[in-house]
Amino acid sequence: MSAVADPGLPAKTGRALLIAQALKAFRANKLSSVGVVIFLTVVVLALLAPIIAPHDPLEQNILHRMEDPSAEFWLGTDSYGRDILSRLLYGARISLFIGVAAIGSAMLIGSTIGLYAGYRGGKVDAVIMQAMDVLLAFPALILGLVIVAMLGPSIQNLIIAISLTAIPPFARIARAPTIVVKERDFVEACRALGFNDTRIMLLHVLPNILSEILVMGSLWLATAIRVEASLSFIGLGVKPPTATWGGMIREGFEKILDTPWLSVFPGLAILLVVFSLNLIGDGLRDVIDPKTRTD
Amino acid sequence: MLAYVARRLLLAVPTLLAVMTLVFVLVRIVPGDPAQTILGDQASQEALMAMRERLGLNRPLWEQYIDFLRDALSGDWGNSMVTGHPILQEILNVLPYTIDLTVASLIIGALFGIPLGVWSALHRNRLVDYVTRVGSLLGLSFPAFVSAILLLLVFSIELNWFPVISAGDRSSVGEVLENLALPAINLGLIMTAYITRVTRSSMLNVLGEDYIRTAHAKGLPNRAVIWIHALRNALIPVVTVVGLYLGILIGNSVLTEIVFNRPGLGKLIVGALSQRDYTMLQGLMVIYTFIIIIVNLLTDLTYGLIDPRVKYS
Amino acid sequence: MARRPANGQAPAQFALDVRGLTTSFYVGGKWFPAVRDVSFALKRHETLALVGESGCGKSMTAMSIMGLVPKDAGRVKAEAILFEGQDLARASEAKMREVRGDGISMVFQEPMTSLNPVLTIGFQVSEALRHHRGLSRRDAAARALHILDQVKIPSAKSRFNDYPHQFSGGMRQRVMIAMALACQPKILLADEPTTALDVTIQAQILELLRELKRETGMAMIFITHNLGVVAELADRVAVMYAGQIVEIAEVAELFARPTHPYTEALLRSIPRSDRDTAELYTIPGQVPPITRMPPGCKFADRCAYRLDRCQAEEQQLAPLAKAPAHAVRCWRRTEETQPEMVVVDA
Repeated sequence: MSAVADPGLPAKTGRALLIAQALKAFRANKLSSVGVVIFLTVVVLALLAPIIAPHDPLEQNILHRMEDPSAEFWLGTDSYGRDILSRLLYGARISLFIGVAAIGSAMLIGSTIGLYAGYRGGKVDAVIMQAMDVLLAFPALILGLVIVAMLGPSIQNLIIAISLTAIPPFARIARAPTIVVKERDFVEACRALGFNDTRIMLLHVLPNILSEILVMGSLWLATAIRVEASLSFIGLGVKPPTATWGGMIREGFEKILDTPWLSVFPGLAILLVVFSLNLIGDGLRDVIDPKTRTD
Repeated sequence: MLAYVARRLLLAVPTLLAVMTLVFVLVRIVPGDPAQTILGDQASQEALMAMRERLGLNRPLWEQYIDFLRDALSGDWGNSMVTGHPILQEILNVLPYTIDLTVASLIIGALFGIPLGVWSALHRNRLVDYVTRVGSLLGLSFPAFVSAILLLLVFSIELNWFPVISAGDRSSVGEVLENLALPAINLGLIMTAYITRVTRSSMLNVLGEDYIRTAHAKGLPNRAVIWIHALRNALIPVVTVVGLYLGILIGNSVLTEIVFNRPGLGKLIVGALSQRDYTMLQGLMVIYTFIIIIVNLLTDLTYGLIDPRVKYS
Repeated sequence: MARRPANGQAPAQFALDVRGLTTSFYVGGKWFPAVRDVSFALKRHETLALVGESGCGKSMTAMSIMGLVPKDAGRVKAEAILFEGQDLARASEAKMREVRGDGISMVFQEPMTSLNPVLTIGFQVSEALRHHRGLSRRDAAARALHILDQVKIPSAKSRFNDYPHQFSGGMRQRVMIAMALACQPKILLADEPTTALDVTIQAQILELLRELKRETGMAMIFITHNLGVVAELADRVAVMYAGQIVEIAEVAELFARPTHPYTEALLRSIPRSDRDTAELYTIPGQVPPITRMPPGCKFADRCAYRLDRCQAEEQQLAPLAKAPAHAVRCWRRTEETQPEMVVVDA
């Protein structure tokens, strides 16, 4: 096979190449683009919810209880006569906010822990990573369940619980390249030039792990949204009457024999967002790790 | 190998101890008085004092800790704060349901996921591969309760093929299977999605290996190359991933048990959490940790079955 | 090169007759040949060495003969590849599977990765016997054990159920050879079988191959970049450069009269004990990538004897007047000896 080893491509390195590759892969991988379009649409709809929602999501209307989809209520109404579509739009805000905040902080805290553990090495590293492994071994949903139950259900506590479950994978991603970079000669040289260690690590490690963190981020955002919905469904999420997708399904599930769409519509909404994020993550991963390339 | 298993279990003791300590601490730093929770808002001061006494809540923390550990090790996990039944008994009562569900989903996942993954890899970039990839990605995007609700709607409510409530009766194999079918299909489909994906990518890696070329050079028929030479190697990462996803499976079983109203650890933990049944919660966390340790051990033992390079020493 | 009858049938003295073999790869939307118009005949019981730097198409030539070039990336075309009265270039995949591992076997370069790590060596050696000969598990095992003894695996019987990782590199290569020889093939393609091994082990494996060849009378195509090995083992040598044969001759003739400038340069770059290694000659430049093959002579860029004509037009492989069995692909050398020479062999 040696004959095809060198097709004569110019050797490019660094971030420019990565971005170019990402764009190319996204162009090639139509599914990822579909994912991006779906996700961005949901984000825009969520942001515009106060403007575009046809009704107040909390407004009860006893004259229009559990109505089928109609011109006024596109997706019907729930048992309090609230407009499902409006509740879905507002629910998207909660889901996305909790997901993004939880995964954002998990990224930040996780990579800091990983950087620190990798940089310190030795016993500190061993203890931290052992703790991370134990945390990772626990089912995310069970862990989230227990933490939220302990802290009490509120948006803030949901964010804490979900981000705690998502910290270990980010710590792992950050740690591996830190150990490699630490051993390189230029770190000594930087130190000799008077750069401090934090700055050296940030400058040299961050660019290495950024892409991988983004992939992990999109996949874990999908998980976070799923876990949040699951917690709300169990009854440990944001308290009613606030509209959340999981909560809507919970309420709808009680009436499943009469009006299945009450739980089906929010269920499909969650599915759509999680699926779009998985499509994006999958496409991004192909760019970064050609070994698992799917096309 | 027995020695290996024994040593692994011994090594698990510190982990279990750590989890128990953590649970013990967590339960006690949580705001809210368990005695109050149990007796309700209307309880008298005397009743509250008596309840605290009975629960040992007014003794020094370290004493409670020692007692807790000693009792736990001797198999006395205390009684539920809510029902008063022994914790261990309650857990062991529902454990078979959760184990049935997990094992059945795993079997479904492997039965469908492995052939699908292989098939997809062999038809790389053709239509079937495309469909399988999108399908499996969609499958693992399903929150377990959404898929459960859809299955319930279609197969129990519309078609009336399965019972709406999968509760209880374990008197005959038929009953067990009938109650198990839909919940197991629900989790099994999600598991299938995971296993399909990892089998596909692992198979693609293996098909590029030198020893596959060697097998072709021997003139073996394609099916021998794929099912004897490639699959066995491709299964090694599948085992890793399955071990990891068992955690997700156990988490998802909570949701499945709720939707199908099926007894199990998941329903027990949700009940314990909503009623602040701390002794039950302690017991459940220890059981979960124990299950995870066993799963990891089984995963490592499975490697040995597939990969002769793995040594238990 | 001697003309052969073009009746589609290989003369009886040929074990394999390859004519006009071209193997192309699909790179960036276009097909590029990695092996171009290679023709040679392998006589019965003969060892033909294919020599050249890495990337010159030697391995790909062997893979093409075996029908092992991946279909999605590569395309094999040939006028004919004649083996035992069949044209392998036109054989179905099913037919090729019958030939592979039975009539023609191959030993690969990497003993560490070419054996399946999860199957016992006993299984892997007896597999071909069970498949091609329809032997029972037990008969195949008995025969496999015999071959493992033949390739000198110490205490083969007790190691029959061991896995590849329990063997050293040299021992694994012996297992590979045993696997290849299981069905007593007419032809063995050995693709740099010793390159990945230590020097002492290399010598042992070469000795083993020589012995086995004497015992079985099979023909062998031995692929190597090491001319030292060629001198020890081969009857004839084909030197390849950039996917083409640039010179082919009997081994003694080639070493006595290296004619193509590339062959000459290769010979000068062999380390020799009677010379200081510090003066070791290296050929300047490198093989052009298949996507950027120059017109004319592919070696012209690196050639010290280059004429203007070399870069414009390609010479065909043409026999020397004084030694008809010695053919060279070089304007300068063929014209120096016989200026009016007309190209005959395509």
